[in-house]
Amino acid sequence: MSKVVLKDKMLLCVEKPARYTGGELNSIVKENAGLRFALCFPDVYEIGMSHLGSRILYEVINARDEFACERCFAPWPDMENAMRQNGVPMYTLETRTPISECDIVGFSILYEMCYTNILTMLDLANIPWRASERGGEYPLIIAGGGCACNPEPIAPFMDAVLIGDGEEMIIDVCNAVLEAKRNHMEKAELLKKLAGIQGVYVPALYNEERGENGEFFGVVPNDPSAPEKIQRRIVMDLDRAQYIKKPIVPYIPIVHDRISLELFRGCTKGCRFCQAGFIYRPIRERKMDTVLRQADELISCTGYDEVSLFSLSSGDYSKIHELVPTIIDKFTSEHVSVSLPSLRIDSFLKEDLERMQTVRKAGLTFAPEAGTQRLRDTINKGVTEEDLLRAVGDAFEAGWNGVKLYFMIGLPTETEEDILGIAELARKVSAKFYAMPKEKRGKGLRLSVSASSFVPKPFTPFQWEPQDRKETLIEKQKILRAALKGIRGVEFSYHEPDISVLEAVFARGDRRLADVLEKAWQNGSRFDSWDEHFKLEAWDGAFVSAGVDPDYYAHRSRSVDEALPWDHIDSIVSKDYLKKEYHAAAEAKVTKDCRLGCNGCFGERYATYCKIN
Amino acid sequence: MRFVSHLDIQRLLQRAFRRADIPLSYSQGFNPHPQLSFATALSTGYTSDAEWVDVKLEKNMEAGDFLDKVNHVMPEGFALAECYAVEDKMPSLTALLESADYELTFANDTDYERLKADIDKLVNAEIIVDKKTKGGIKSVDIRPQLINAELKNEAEGIKLHIKGALTASGSLNIELLMGALARQSGREYDYGVHRSKVEFIGGRNTPV
Repeated sequence: MSKVVLKDKMLLCVEKPARYTGGELNSIVKENAGLRFALCFPDVYEIGMSHLGSRILYEVINARDEFACERCFAPWPDMENAMRQNGVPMYTLETRTPISECDIVGFSILYEMCYTNILTMLDLANIPWRASERGGEYPLIIAGGGCACNPEPIAPFMDAVLIGDGEEMIIDVCNAVLEAKRNHMEKAELLKKLAGIQGVYVPALYNEERGENGEFFGVVPNDPSAPEKIQRRIVMDLDRAQYIKKPIVPYIPIVHDRISLELFRGCTKGCRFCQAGFIYRPIRERKMDTVLRQADELISCTGYDEVSLFSLSSGDYSKIHELVPTIIDKFTSEHVSVSLPSLRIDSFLKEDLERMQTVRKAGLTFAPEAGTQRLRDTINKGVTEEDLLRAVGDAFEAGWNGVKLYFMIGLPTETEEDILGIAELARKVSAKFYAMPKEKRGKGLRLSVSASSFVPKPFTPFQWEPQDRKETLIEKQKILRAALKGIRGVEFSYHEPDISVLEAVFARGDRRLADVLEKAWQNGSRFDSWDEHFKLEAWDGAFVSAGVDPDYYAHRSRSVDEALPWDHIDSIVSKDYLKKEYHAAAEAKVTKDCRLGCNGCFGERYATYCKIN
Repeated sequence: MRFVSHLDIQRLLQRAFRRADIPLSYSQGFNPHPQLSFATALSTGYTSDAEWVDVKLEKNMEAGDFLDKVNHVMPEGFALAECYAVEDKMPSLTALLESADYELTFANDTDYERLKADIDKLVNAEIIVDKKTKGGIKSVDIRPQLINAELKNEAEGIKLHIKGALTASGSLNIELLMGALARQSGREYDYGVHRSKVEFIGGRNTPV
């Protein structure tokens, strides 16, 4: 095993050198290990270190004596250049081992726009991109995370993709690789073995079937060891699952620089645009005792002064009104503040708010998503204008003066009326603030209105929907900007439409997009989710030279009977249910929260997987 | 550790104090923060044996106890060397500072004689550098802030020992000094910087 030497001179000429030097409190260094796992996050350190899932895997793998799990983040372009100039290969932070000398290189893929960074990291490691070009002398290259539910655009690069919860599956994979290493097993044989682990997709064992004119027919196994469908892996009991005991405390500020306590996995709301709401079902809550005990342990081993209660919709936690006051009262005297990043408008209590602001006033965020009740019903966002106004009113009375409102534009069936509805809602929120007597309200209202562009995602009822074209999105942004003009306290922000369109292409893409990724990388694409790095020409050129039409993926309306590139992934929620929801959306019919009764999303086959009722 | 910036070290200390259950005193107001202030900042990339920090506690603690508790939870590469309990009314550390000693260790392939000649030439005249100020870039002579500079060929390599002013009214900036050396000699030297000591008013080694 060799070690990478980093020269001070090189580190001092890049921005934030501490991104690349490791050595943080609670990081785990194992000089000797039977198996070395490079846990790679294809974005910059501050983003990657904020990812709870990667932190869980880090501890789960390192908990086994014979496995060493070490971190690796995408180098910022200044560091990428410095590494190339100094001949420094991609290395792990813990032991500075070149990742090409690790046994497994695993990428966490949380958003589509990080894909080019995977190529950067492999390139800097001198590892061939295509799985078909890698023999047993290279590490096993794998991926997992939210985006893995449609792995096809990156499938040609991966030896295996892990679908679903990783904390048990990753150990199965490590064990298989360690055994293969000890027995000098051929790579082809190892791949077949991996295909037998539930949740593991081995792309080389499947082919894309296409018609004469290239029409997509499906992804089908080419080997008897590969299951026809890859069933998503689920960890059923989160109280017993291994969790983070000693989180790494970075030296430099990261995006989520606090203790994250996971309250539950899954979500019961059923918002039709939300992929996370479908691919993490069923809902699995952790006990309040578990959460409180961990809060104590994690604060005392990190020294953090902020705890965040983390879930897709923390306000839905069944014990939320017990937990919030308990946890706040417990920590106030220690100057530890508590934040709830995802509040639900219709359920939280004014008393909780008043308690929360005793320590520190963090911003409050609400996500009505759409501007009219009709459209909110279409997307199944079970929230009314009254809910929102009551919630912000409570917040203003409790002393808040900064509120964020999240909306989407480009949603299915959206009309100009819906866009204007966003401005109307913002106007009412602003009026609510200024209707309060001066001495009772905070200084000045800061009402940020953020409008992202809708991206249809696999495994949602909107997976068949076309995305608005870029020109339409820009037009809608203009209308909204004009309508918001003059509303007191409003700051408007929106997403770069070019990036949203690319996201839509890759979210519902197939293996042909791997060519596009390679060409875009060669044209200079890096860190595409960062506006300052995004290069539209690089992508336009890549689509042309790969002979791939982005419109086919992003803007085309699909029939519900069409074969989809992710049909071989069984995400547990049945396709019939998604179809039912798709039709309900067309009629603006609301589907109830599954806490109020089962809607049958798993179908008969997996009906027993959900324990909620 | 030298790549951790000054602000990050402040936060690192706060967290270490929390892990050690030190009863930090917090400021009043909208966003209470712990009362903790460094005598002076250390440039990113430098190592040091001599950083001083004032910490206010809610309760009295015995200095030795404080030191043990904190050192027990510090990340590798950081440690408290000494600790004194002082009166509330003591002036700030910054106001008490007088000078700092630096050791610059040069790369192995450095030509000692040539470096010595370059340094002699530099320190025997005004050292005019461009300094960024609020009003724009200004040319100033930093020679008065350089108290002493001595080059030695030591066992660990060639070392330049520098004593520079470190006061509220003016401090020696090593980067500016070495920048002037590079400009005047036309040579880029490769070196690392270590702060070995600071002195307080009256040439004292400690502020108390």
